[in-house]
Amino acid sequence: MISLEDICEGEWVDWYKLTPLERWHESDKLRTYYLSLGGSLDPEPDSQSPFDAGSPPSPRLVDGRPSLRVLRRGGV
Amino acid sequence: MGGQACVFYGAVEFSRDADILILADPPNLDRLALALADLVAESIAVPPFSPEYLARGHGVHFRCAHPEAFRMRIDVMAKLRGVDPFAVVWDRRTTITDQDGTVFELLSLPDLVLSKKTQRDKDWPVIRRLLEADFQARPDADERAIRFWLREMRTPELLIELATRHPALTLDLFPTRCLLEAARQRDQAGVEAGLMAEEQKERERDRKYWRPLKAELVELRAQLARRNLPN
Repeated sequence: MISLEDICEGEWVDWYKLTPLERWHESDKLRTYYLSLGGSLDPEPDSQSPFDAGSPPSPRLVDGRPSLRVLRRGGV
Repeated sequence: MGGQACVFYGAVEFSRDADILILADPPNLDRLALALADLVAESIAVPPFSPEYLARGHGVHFRCAHPEAFRMRIDVMAKLRGVDPFAVVWDRRTTITDQDGTVFELLSLPDLVLSKKTQRDKDWPVIRRLLEADFQARPDADERAIRFWLREMRTPELLIELATRHPALTLDLFPTRCLLEAARQRDQAGVEAGLMAEEQKERERDRKYWRPLKAELVELRAQLARRNLPN
């Protein structure tokens, strides 16, 4: 029988194993840390979003990474 | 309903905004206006905050000025493409209560998955992870859960595993998802091709759905620009 450890990166499997409330509280800590580093809550420009009005880019993220982390596209 | 719901369900770690699905009737809009006032939230961009635009499927956007949510964006919608009307999704919502009594009302996982079938690249890996997290959370899944996974799973290896373990259910769902035939045959390349075809089809449906709404937004922005021109 296949397990998620065989096909997913370890950090995601660890995240999946938390309860929803544990994830919520961990996410809140991440958000607090992100803001403490000067991170912006402005939305990222997203030309594929129907809401995108071609607005100028928001300030650079402090960690240079998108807010919703995409680890892979998986060829699907 | 958006990134914050995906945090609860395990597909993302962090979201900078909050997306809210509401019942757009006058009393509820009044309550929402009060809540937005508490957050010192201002409507930004177009369309304006009105039931007509919400009913047509537009999102209305706000930015908070409250110190505890400074510059946080809130997007409000009353209708989602491919998802049942509000009353139906409200009946099957997921409710989570924190130890301090805070209550979180989330789109059900199947509804959230449907809402993520958009034209945007970033939504598709999220759907995949929503399903993986659900698979991880339910080792003793019932038939309903297995049917849901067979309908929506986007991880080829897990689809093949499910089709092998549940051949009768897989056969039953062939009419609704043709890539299950490839999964049953343990044909990973065939499953991957089927997933790609599904994604392309949904992206095109989403683009078609938004075309007239985007045209309306362009016109609203032009009207706003004309009004703001100096005389």
